Formats: sequence, structure tokens, C-alpha cells
Amino acid sequence: MSHKIVTLIEEISKAQSPEAFFGLKAFLLNELKKVHSDYDKLAFKYERSTKEKNILNSLLTKTSVDLKKVSDNLKIRAEELSILLTTIPAFVYFKDTQLKYQIVNQQFAELAGIPSDQIAGKMIHEVFPGYENSDYLEKEYAVLKNGIALYDLEEELTFKDWKRWINSNIAPIRNLENQIVGLIGISWDITERKLHEEELQKSNELAVAGTLAKNEFIASVSHEFRTPMNGILGLSEILKNSPLAPDQVDLLNGIISSAENLLVLLNDVLDFSAIEAGKMEMDYQPFMLDRVMEDISLVMKMKAAEKSLLFDIVIEEMVPNLLIGDSQRFRQIMINLTNNAVKFTEHGKIAVHVSLVKLSGNSAHLRFEVSDTGIGIAPDALNSLFRVFSRIKPSKARQQSGTGLGLSICKKLTELMGGRIGVESSLGKGSLFWFTLPFTLSILHKNRSQEDQPAASSCFKQKLVLVAEDNAINQRIVSYHLQKMGFEVELAIDGQQALEKYHTRNFDLVVLDIQMPLMDGYQVAKAIRQEEQGSLRHLPIIALTANAMKGDRESYLEAGMDDYVSKPFTYATLEKVISKALCRAIN
Amino acid sequence: MVLKTFHADSVKGFRQAWADNTSDGFQPNAAVIFSSVDLELQELVSFLQTIKIQAFGCSSCGEFLYDTNNQVITEGGVVCLMMTLIPESFDIKQFNGLGRSSFELGNNIGKWAGERFEKPAILILGSGLETDGEQLVRGIQHVAGNDVSMFGGLAGDDTQFKETFVFSEEKLENNGAIVMALNTSQYIIQGLATSGWVSIGADKIITHAEGNIVYTIDGQPALDVYKDYLNVSDTDLPEIGVEYPLLIKKPGAQDVLRAVINVDREKKSLIFAGTVPNGAVVTFSCSPGFEIIESTRNKVNEFHNHNEEADLLILFSCMARHNALGPTISEEIDEAWHNWAKPLIGFFTYGEIGNNYNAACDFYNETFTMVSIKQKSDVA
Repeated sequence: MSHKIVTLIEEISKAQSPEAFFGLKAFLLNELKKVHSDYDKLAFKYERSTKEKNILNSLLTKTSVDLKKVSDNLKIRAEELSILLTTIPAFVYFKDTQLKYQIVNQQFAELAGIPSDQIAGKMIHEVFPGYENSDYLEKEYAVLKNGIALYDLEEELTFKDWKRWINSNIAPIRNLENQIVGLIGISWDITERKLHEEELQKSNELAVAGTLAKNEFIASVSHEFRTPMNGILGLSEILKNSPLAPDQVDLLNGIISSAENLLVLLNDVLDFSAIEAGKMEMDYQPFMLDRVMEDISLVMKMKAAEKSLLFDIVIEEMVPNLLIGDSQRFRQIMINLTNNAVKFTEHGKIAVHVSLVKLSGNSAHLRFEVSDTGIGIAPDALNSLFRVFSRIKPSKARQQSGTGLGLSICKKLTELMGGRIGVESSLGKGSLFWFTLPFTLSILHKNRSQEDQPAASSCFKQKLVLVAEDNAINQRIVSYHLQKMGFEVELAIDGQQALEKYHTRNFDLVVLDIQMPLMDGYQVAKAIRQEEQGSLRHLPIIALTANAMKGDRESYLEAGMDDYVSKPFTYATLEKVISKALCRAIN
Repeated sequence: MVLKTFHADSVKGFRQAWADNTSDGFQPNAAVIFSSVDLELQELVSFLQTIKIQAFGCSSCGEFLYDTNNQVITEGGVVCLMMTLIPESFDIKQFNGLGRSSFELGNNIGKWAGERFEKPAILILGSGLETDGEQLVRGIQHVAGNDVSMFGGLAGDDTQFKETFVFSEEKLENNGAIVMALNTSQYIIQGLATSGWVSIGADKIITHAEGNIVYTIDGQPALDVYKDYLNVSDTDLPEIGVEYPLLIKKPGAQDVLRAVINVDREKKSLIFAGTVPNGAVVTFSCSPGFEIIESTRNKVNEFHNHNEEADLLILFSCMARHNALGPTISEEIDEAWHNWAKPLIGFFTYGEIGNNYNAACDFYNETFTMVSIKQKSDVA
């Protein structure tokens, strides 16, 4: 601007006359305007900078206070982080994108035996000479490349005079622009844990072996129980059919009832040991739900009637009837729950309700409810109800028998079949046990005649049956039942004698005990079938067995037997099985 | 497109200038008017009604007009651009903002513009103290899409921060917006928005805010923080808060400036021209000095290189720039005028709206926002 003013003064001084001066007027005015504008701007800038200076000074003072605070906070944070890094019971390291160590914590430095500042900038094999785990380095590169953390990397680190197991988690580090600039690794010494695991593994193997031995013991003991049980029940049945005084009938009924209870306990123990051993396998076959429920209804109505209780089953209309599932196990759960209901109810009603939860594709989810008006269960007992050996606390009036395994078995069975079980109860009002099970829908109608062939005792008249049984009591029972059915019975006391007798007469049926001296039932059956080969003859063979484990059925059939009867058996069961086998042979 | 411009310092002067400019038979069908609140605005609107011109106007914090005959930056005056636009390719409508949020107001505007033209460009003037400019823009975009071309500013009141106005030939309103929709099949609309403001001081956290009202910063009353940090008195706000706006840090996106437009002294809260989110990290910001003029000139030149053809320019410049740059503000306006040498009209605002080159439209503070309009048939 000063330059412009000088030019103006020069122009004015050049004007030699007033005319010349006036001639300059327009030029001067224009120049003055410019000078004025420039002055305005300068003045503004001056004024502005004074005003701004105050504000900026204040802002800067305040900012420096703020920054001091921030810096103090950062120092505290840094200290905290440093403490964290030093005291964390783990080996912590930061690596750059070349996998060179940047920062390591005290624990890491101690592991390596090098001061932490000397580790910075080094690669792993420079810190741990001889380190050759390229797999681990590849994983670190993968973290840098993919930006995804990796967890639980285990490696055995051998270094200097020690050997340790190390577990590491590694994660990428990103800058504010979200670029990966390195990684952080946190490792733990898990050598102790590894040793424990090895010990645990060993003791686990021992435990498994122990469990197996226990289950085998239980299976064989329960088998040994079955034979005398068969004797007790069979003979009692025979006795019941003989003329007895009324008080003797009562006593006999007591014996039968006690023996039946003992059998239930035995079956529970057997089931439980099978479940525990993981040997419980489901047998999925087509069945008709209404038939199974009818069976249950027949049994339970009688039991309920003994206590003057009502027993009622309702199956909702939507529930499909033709199902594929393990009907035996399903029946077992139902019987167990309904039995309990009857057991713990003194007045009122037991109600069974079946409903459809969900139908999708060819599968149906059903819900079964068993409700009673019994004593109910205290809330604190509900949770442990399905645990092993848990018993519903008996009312003060009476104690109930049972192993405490029933509900636990029900729970295991429902779970094995993919269902759930539960209970709702109100003390003094009653309980509602429910379970859900998935079933596959069956498109095949099961032939009713196949399942429930009517007893055709007429088939048995004048027929000759060979019975092989080494136990004298059982011989008596089987003979008694068979003769009652109209058979002529020929007895053999072991397998060898049975085979010899087979050759002497033309038998219509063979009933074989499985465990016999000299030749067991399997061997006899196999021998008979072998001799039949090439002929059209097929002699019906029925096994008598105390073995009740699943899979036994298959082995009997494989040996060539037509069917089997599990000890202890009733007259009716034996008749039904024989009838089925004979009628099949005739047809 | 025929264009004439004039400026006046009273309504009477306006009437006279209008008469002078139409004495040759010139019949404009639209007028852009920016006026000081010093003028009798109601009287001005009544006049516009009598001459039956479609008007697009608002009150200002200073007006400017550059043409071959006039190059003025006025305070307390009025500037006017008279235009002949293709009648079926433009429309002007006034929207009342009373009882509706800025977002809803934006919805209504977007809906109307979309109904008028398949691909509209929007010129918009909003009342300056009642409008959350950001929500207004979001509301329009919500209906019209993010790619809608949109430029405009929030009305001022000569930095009195009492009452601002938008107006058409029909009415004067202190809460609402006036919108000109242009058919982009006939008009090319392009623009630029540049600020130059820089962050100053340490990071702060917005600890309590609702919409565009900030109650506390770092747990302290927002008004106290401003007074304390800038060492100013109560009465210096909101004006000083326009010059020293908050810079909202947006990780991974462009930082945003938000100017104070109002103060609730009772609640010690500050009302900003746009939304300030709760939890936002902010700093103060300021003009780094007179070098921002150079930066603006460079941006204007660059914009001109890409967009040499224009029939007219409308400029929305933040009143804070005027405060900070004083008479030197003419240097950045001069640059626009010299590049195109076409009529340029504009005003100092309480907030600007615009697309930066081809980016989506946003709401700004502290910017020099310019839009160029070119009628397509003239290109041919």
C-alpha cells in the first residue's frame, strides 16, 4: 500500500498546472478507492488478529492444560499396562509383520533367559536357538494375512535343558486405519496340565475297565438270579392251579407278588447297568400306538382298581397311530410312570394324555402326560428326582418299594430316543409326569395276526415236544405248563442228551434251555438245523433263556431258533410263543 | 435464459429497480432474492405478490451480487436475480416447518420434488434458527435418494440470532423452507463446498446431547465450556460459536463442522445448526487465518476447470467466513466471478447444503458452497 501512496504523490507532484492536476482527478479517485479498500482490509486484519489472539491464547492455554491431563492419564495408563504386562501369569509378546519380536513381557524374557530389550528385533529362532516349528510360524503368518485370531495352539518347546508344553493364542494388531501391523501372542506353560491329562487318561482307562467289569458282574449275577426266580414264579403258578385252602391262596399270592416285585428290581438293575455301559441300544420297529396303549391300559386299570382308583387314557385325534420306534422301551417308560402314579395315589384318578407336539415331514413329536391326584412331590425334591437312586420321599403313612432307578432309567431311555422328560407337582394335590419322544411315521400297516396270534391250543393236541433243561425245578415247571397245553413231553437233562433223543423220535417242537452242560442250546439248535439241510423239514425250536440283554434275540435267531421265552415266564407267555411258532410251521 | 440483477437498500428501492429492469418489456418468471432483516420483508412480499413473480427468497447475514454492472457485498440491503426459466422445467414451493421435525419437513420436500420431476435438482433455503440442517438433508434424501442433487443455505438475521425468514411471493415464514425444483433434463446443476477450518485443542466427548442440542461436553455444561475455553462473555455467544464451531470426528469419514446457532442460557445448553451425536469425539475448530482464501480460490479454479459452462452462480457462504475474513472475503467471491463472468448472487448463511463435486449431498457449516446452473438448450 505504501508503494501505491508513493506513486500517487509522484503523480500529483508531476502536475505542473491546475489543469493538469484536475486531469488527474479520475485517476486519483480510482487509486484512492483502492488505497481505501486496502486500508480497510489491513485494518480489519489488525483488529481481527488482536481479537483472535485473545481467543486463541485462551484456547491454547486451556488446551495445554487438557494435554497435560491427557499426558498424565497416558502415563498412568502406560504404567498400568506395564504392570499388567509384567504381572500377567503368561508369556506375552508383540511381533511386527516380519514376525520379529517388538515387545515381550518379563515372563517371556525369563523363559528365554535373555533381557527383554535384547529380544526386540529378533526372530524366534534367534531367541530360542534350534526352534524349528515351521507349522507355528505358518500359523502366525496366517493370522497376519487373514486377520483372524487363532486359539489353543499347543506345541512342545524344547530349549536348552528343558522341555515344556506351551499353549498359545495369537491375534492380529491393527492400527487406526484398520491395517494389520503385527500380532500379539499370549502363551501359557501347560506342562503340568499335560501331565495331569496323561494321568487322568490312565485312570480313566482304569475306570472304564472297572465299569466294564462291574457291568459284566451285574449281568452275570442278574442271570443267576433269574433261574431261581423262574423256579419261584413257575412253581407258584403251578401251585395256584392246584386246590388250596383260602388262607393258602392268600399266602401264595403274597409269594407271587413279592417275586414279581423282585423281578422288576432285577430288570431295573439290568437296564441300568446296560445304560451305564453304553450297551443300551434301541430297537426301532413299526408299531401301533393305540395297541400299546391298550395293553398298558389293561395292566394298569387292574392295578388301579385294586386301590379303587380311576385310570383313563386319552389320545388326541391328531396323534398319528402308525409309528416307528422302540415300542418296548416306550412301554417301559409308560409302565414305570403309571406304576408310580398308582403307587403314590390313594384317592382319585390316574390320567394319561397323549398329544401331538409337532408334525414335520415324516416325523411326529409326541407328548405323553401321566397325571395323578396323589401325594405330590415337594419342590426341593423335584430337581433331583430323575437322578440315580433318587426316591420320591414316602409319605409318613407308608413306604414304597423300589430301587430308585426307575425314573433315572426313564430319563436315560427318553434321552436315548431323542426325547425329554419332566415333572410338575404340587404337594398334596398330585403330580404330572411328562415326556416327549420323536417317532418316524410308519407307512406300513403291521399285520395284526403277525403280532398277536390267537392261542391255538388245538394245534397242540397229541403233539410231541422235546424239552432240554438241566435245572430240575425248571424241568417241572416247563413240563407242567406244556402238559397242561396238551403236549406229550420228553425231557432231556443236557444238550447232548437232547440231540440223542432228537434222533429217536419224531418231535413236533423243541424247547431248549441255553445254558446247559456238555452242549449248550445254541449248539443243539445249530446241529438240528444242519441235519435238516436239504430237506423241507423245519422243526420249530424255542429257546428258554435267563439272558435278557439286547442282542441276545439276534444270536438265538442266528443259531436257527424260531423264538425265545425269557425266564421267568408265565403260562400265557409260553403258550403264545409256542402257538406262534407252531402255526408258522403248519402254514 | 435471460438474466438481470439489481441491488437496493430498501423496499422502495427494490420496487424502483424492478420497474427499471422491466421497462424494456423484460418479463422474468422467477426471482432469487436475499435480503437483510432490516428491510420491511412483509412489504417486500406484498410487492412480489402484486407483480406475480415466483419468488425464492430468504433473510441473510449480508448479501452479495456480482454482475458486469455491479459487484457489491452489502449488509442491510437486498439483492435480486431476475430470470426467465423454462416454465415447465422449474417450480417453487414453500413448506411450513411448524409442528414437524426437520426430518419430516425434508420428507415432504423430497416427496414434492420427486412428484414434480423424474430427476429433480433441489435449491433450498431453510429458516436458520429452527432447522436442524442435517436432519433436513437426511429427510429429503430418505425420500428422494442419496444421489439427489441439492444446494442451499439456512437463512440469517444479520447475526442477531432472533428470527430468520424464508419467503415466496405468497408469504413470509419464520419456520420452514422454500424450495426450487429444477428438471435436470433441462438444467445442469453442479457445485462445490469447501471450508478450510482446522481442528484446534484436545479431544472432547459429547456427554449429553439430544438432536442438535448439546447439554454437556466432558460432563460440563456446554455453554460454560465454550465461555471458558474461548475466554468470552455470555453475550458473545452464539455469534462466536459460529466462528469457532465444533469439529465432529468421524472415523473413516470426513470430519464435520457444527456451528452454534442458539443458546439456552437457562439450561446452559447450545443449539447447533446440525445434529451432534451423543458420545461424539469433538474438538474446537477455527479458521487458520487469511490463507483459507487462497485455498478457496484454488478449489474454485479447479472446479471451473471441470465445469467451465454456466449461466449463473448462486453462492452460500457461511456468516462465520464473513466474520473471520472481513472485507477480504471479497477475494474468494471475486475468484468465482472472474472465472465464469456470469451473474453471481449469494448471501452469508447460518449453514450450507451442497454436493461436493459428485459426492452425496451434506449439510455444512463454515463453508463456501457454490452452485452453477446451466440451461441445456443453451449448450447446443
